[in-house]
Order: sequence, then C-alpha cells, then structure tokens
Amino acid sequence: MTVSASTRTIAKTAAAAKSDLHKRLRLGESFIEAFLFFCGAVSILTTLGIVFVLGKESLLFFTSGEVTLWEFISGTEWQPAIGRFGIWALLNSTLMVTAIAMLVALPLGLAVAIYLSEYASLRARSILKPVLEVLAGVPTVVYGYFALTFMTPFLRSIFGDEIVQIYNTAAAGIVIGILVLPLVSSMSEDALHAVPYALREAAYGLGATKLETAIKVVLPAATYGVAAAFIVAISRAIGETMIVAIAAGAGPSFTFNPFESAETMTGHIVRISGGDLSYDSIDYNSIFAIGLMLFVMTLTLNIISRHVVKHFREEYE
Amino acid sequence: MKYKTKSRHIFILMSLLLITSLVAACGGPATPAPQAEPAKMEEPAQTEESTQTEEPARVEESAQTEEATTEETTETASATDSTPDSGSVELPEVDPLAVTGDIISAGSSTVFPLSERMAERFQDEGYGGNITIDSIGSGAGFERFCVAGESDISNASRPIKDSEVESCQSIGREPVEFRVGTDALAIAVSQENDFVESVTLEELAMIFSTAETWADVNPDWPAEPIQRFIPGTDSGTFDYFVEEVFDKDEEPILSAGNLQLSEDDNVLVRGIQGSPYAIGFFGYAYYNENQDTLTVLSIEGVAPTGESAEDGSYPLARPLFIYSTAGIIAEKPQVGAFINFYLTYVNEEVIDVGYFPASEDTLSVAEASLLAALK
Repeated sequence: MTVSASTRTIAKTAAAAKSDLHKRLRLGESFIEAFLFFCGAVSILTTLGIVFVLGKESLLFFTSGEVTLWEFISGTEWQPAIGRFGIWALLNSTLMVTAIAMLVALPLGLAVAIYLSEYASLRARSILKPVLEVLAGVPTVVYGYFALTFMTPFLRSIFGDEIVQIYNTAAAGIVIGILVLPLVSSMSEDALHAVPYALREAAYGLGATKLETAIKVVLPAATYGVAAAFIVAISRAIGETMIVAIAAGAGPSFTFNPFESAETMTGHIVRISGGDLSYDSIDYNSIFAIGLMLFVMTLTLNIISRHVVKHFREEYE
Repeated sequence: MKYKTKSRHIFILMSLLLITSLVAACGGPATPAPQAEPAKMEEPAQTEESTQTEEPARVEESAQTEEATTEETTETASATDSTPDSGSVELPEVDPLAVTGDIISAGSSTVFPLSERMAERFQDEGYGGNITIDSIGSGAGFERFCVAGESDISNASRPIKDSEVESCQSIGREPVEFRVGTDALAIAVSQENDFVESVTLEELAMIFSTAETWADVNPDWPAEPIQRFIPGTDSGTFDYFVEEVFDKDEEPILSAGNLQLSEDDNVLVRGIQGSPYAIGFFGYAYYNENQDTLTVLSIEGVAPTGESAEDGSYPLARPLFIYSTAGIIAEKPQVGAFINFYLTYVNEEVIDVGYFPASEDTLSVAEASLLAALK
C-alpha cells in the first residue's frame, strides 16, 4: 500500500514537474490534435461502416435460401430475375478487363518511369510529368465515351466489324490501362528515383551502359516499389466502374473473347441499381454480395501492397 | 527554447503532410468506386432536374396557396358538366399560368418521351413549377408510387398488377388509371441487315431464346451469332414482350446467350446499329427517332402503323397509361391540372412523339375518371 502510494506521489510530482517545464495547456494546440484524430477516425469508421453494411446485406442474400454459397462461387451464369447467381459470369469479365488494362499500363508505365527517372532531361521531365498528371485528372465518364466512340471503332477498323462487337471488353480494358498509366508511372518513378545514386555510379564504374544500369541495377533495386505500384494499379482497375458501364456491355456473359461484350461486377451493380430495385428483393441483396466480393479483392491487394512497400522500405534505410 | 518551438511547428507540419498523403494513398484505391458512381449513371436518364425529390413540406405549402384558384376551376367544371356518364366528357379548361407547385412522376421509359413532351408543352404555356419525370421502368415506377409513396404520377406501359394495387392500398392510395395512347412495340434490326424483313411470332420466340445463329431460325439466313439487345427486367416493355411471346415465362429469354439488357433504350439502339446480326425491341418512339439507321420488322406480315396498332392486327400493340390517385389530385391541385392538360392535348402530340393515339372512346373513359377524381 505505502509503496504504491509513494510511487503515485512520485509519478504525480514528475508529471507536475514535466508540465511546468514543457507543457502549458494551449487550446489551439489541443484543438488541432483533436481535429487530426477525428480525421483519422472518420476514415476508419467509414471503412467499418462499409464492411458492416456489405456483410449484413450479403448475409441476407446467402440466407435467403434461393442461392447457396457454392452456387455463387462456382456458377458461370448470372441472371438474378430467374434465380441464377453464378459470380464467374461477372468475375471473369472483371479479371479479363483488368488483365487487358495491365497489359497496357504495366509495360508502358514502367517504360515511362525508366525514361523519366534515368534518361529524361530536366526540360523533357518538366513537360512530360504535368501531361501525365492531366491524364490522371480526366473524369472517368469521359474515358468511357472515349472507349465507346474512339477505341471501339479503332479496334473494328483493325480487326473488322464482324469480329469486334460494339460493346466489348477489349476497348474498355485498353482505356482503363490508359487511365491507370499515370499511377503506375509516377509510383514506379518514385521507386526508381529512391535508389541511391552510388549504385548507378558503381555500375558506370564497372563499364555498364546507361540501359544496362537502368535495367540490371536500378530496376532490380527498386523491384518492391514497382511491384507495389503494379498492385495498386490492379486494384484501381478492378474497381473502375464508369468506363466498363459505358463501353464493355450490359449483359453478364461468361466468355474469354475480349471482342465480345461482357459485364463486369462494377458495371452490373451500376446497371441494376439504376433501375430502382425494391429493397427486399433478391436482386437488391445480390449487388451487396458482389460488392463484398469486390471489397475483399481490393482489400487483399492493398494489404499485399502494404507488405511489399514495407519490405522495400527496409531494403535501403 | 526558440529552436524548440520551431521544430515543433515543423513536426506538426510534417505529420499533417504524412496523414494527408496516407489518406490519399490508401483511401483512394481502397474505396470501392461503385459506392459513389451509380448516382452518376442515373443522371442521363432524367431530363428534368430532380433536386427536389423529397421536399414534401415545400410542395404542400405551394399547393395550399394555390388551392383557391384550382378550386374555382373545379367548381366551374361541375357546373358546366352535368352529365359525366354521357360519353362525350367535357373537362374543365386548364390555365397553366395559374398552376404552381411541383409534380413528381416516375415510371416507364416507353411513356417517358410522351410525358416529357406534355410536360414541356405545359411549361411552355405558362406552368411555373417543376415536373420531374424519371425513366426507370414501369415496375420501378409502381414501386415508387405504391411502396415508397414518393411520386404523384406513375407512368406505365402495362396495366397495374393486382399485387401492385394491393401495396398501393396498404399505404392508403387507390390508383386511378388514365389511358394516354397506344404503342406498337418495335422489333428492330440494323439497316445493314438485308436478310430479314418479316418474322412470325414463333420465329421471334426462337430468335430471342434458344437459337444461337440466324440460320438456326431460318436456313436461308446467315450462320452468324444473334446479338440480342433487350430492355431490362424492370421495364414494362420487357414484361409485355415476355407475356406476349413467351407466355409469361422469363426463363427462355433470360437464358439466351449474347444478351444485353438495359433500361436505357439508347444503349439498345446503339447496340443494334453496331452489327447487321443484332436485333432488339423497344417502344415505337425510339425506332421513330432512329429511322435512318434502323429497320423495323413486320410480324406475321403486319407492319406497325397507326391503323394496325389501333385495330389490334399488329400483334405487339399495347396501351400506355399514367396513374395517379384521387387523394393526390385533391391534395395537390397541380397534379389534377397536369393530367387534365395531358388528356386534353395528348392526341395533338402523340404521333409526333412516335406513338399512336388512343381511340376517342378510351380517352373519354380516362376523362370521365379524372372528372370523378376531381370531385
């Protein structure tokens, strides 16, 4: 008892001494602190709220008795009006659009990053970087109509009207690739830029050319940063909505042909919710199940990318 | 000491920067885009500004101020018209200049162009309020009208179902039907399609269900896959087509491959224009607007025209309706005034919009029920 009491007094005096020396209560300061904490809490609470709503409504969907979890994750036909809930019809096209987008964005973005970080003169950099940022600022609905009214006719002029349908996943995928290009290039460039200059000098000293230095020394050293950029780009492409809603088509179909129309998960949610669904219908609950699926996918990718970035940070500090 | 405050300031600045960049980096990609974007999609479907979707207080207020003027018109109506059941019904004259207060309507995308035209004319002639017309499909329109109770008028390209009447009654609404015109559902193909001009109902059923290629339906047609563009399952057009062609069974049409569904008829039009092997259907008005790129098919040898729609020889002719209730009309005089205006002038506009007029008889039935509701 006495011991604890005395420690408390000591602690008290210590605290008093500390506040005398350093800390006066300043209203502005504590207000700022509270505000910052609030900002942090808002994003966390929002996430929790989203998870709660998605989980609750999805649970209603799976407990409705009209569909089993197995049917949901194994079926290839999605037509809610007649009770067919096979997520693969939607998931497949989401994956396909994402794959096409990555085929465009990754090589191009990496090339841009290497050019900007290793080759570009100050002048070229000062022109290219803002242009790329403009590309990132274009509203996605504009990209959607760009896909429908430019990319699709362009693909049709190459492959022929017979092969390329008016709504198709290829055009949507390519345009999403253009959309995420600035993201990939700027994140990768940051990673390349962060590689210590000594490594380059050592490579030059050993007689390596500029290209050899960039590809064999700088790029491997920045692998983790580049990988993180790729993963963020993939999750951005999976979640992209407006472009696929406009250009990819409006019917769920399980196809591997990129020139045929197919509906992605996000596109389906947009179309179905546009028709004012009734709140207690199975269709309404089904879009939450799709939403949950999307959320889990992007969350997993984000967690992976965080791990990757952490690893990267440890490498050069 | 001075140095210390400075470093603290820098520390605060840095942490602010860090937090904002963290929020930007993690928040951006992690937020599922679909949460925010459906709202955007809806916009093109609505022509009128729908900012005032839920402001009952304001609407009621303006309704009250105007009650006096409209009551006058109603009184003159009952005075001039002593025999409402005598066939020739005389509706009271509407002065759009004297009508204020907002009107909220929603429903069929097929009725939408007609209602939009009537609303425009109503406003041109002096109506000062706001008419919202949402093009969301007949079923969704009744959902808003009978379940949510948000709309004053429900547009529909099919008669109201018994189940919908029941849910209307459960919220204290007794729907009144007004027939405003006739639509011939148009089966359309691209003008580049040179092999099909007329189909039978059986062929139509095959085209929109089991057949994979055109040759499966008719050996004379090319062996190319059929691309189908149809209205969404929420639309009255879809319901009507399924009822007429598939005997109310949705299964075959929804099981068909190469199927695109959209509540936005312009998406369908664009899709059909895109390929000679595409086919789709929608209200006649959308064909009318795109006559230069689309061809409409005859069914059982009958082309959709005013006469064939009127006399019923065209198999896919159907009535167009608007619905309201006596309660709403009493509470919001502007709704009664608009329906009155609608019924009085609809036959002057309906052909121009792309539909066919309802016969005098059916129109006077509608006028009689409006008179009954106005009392």
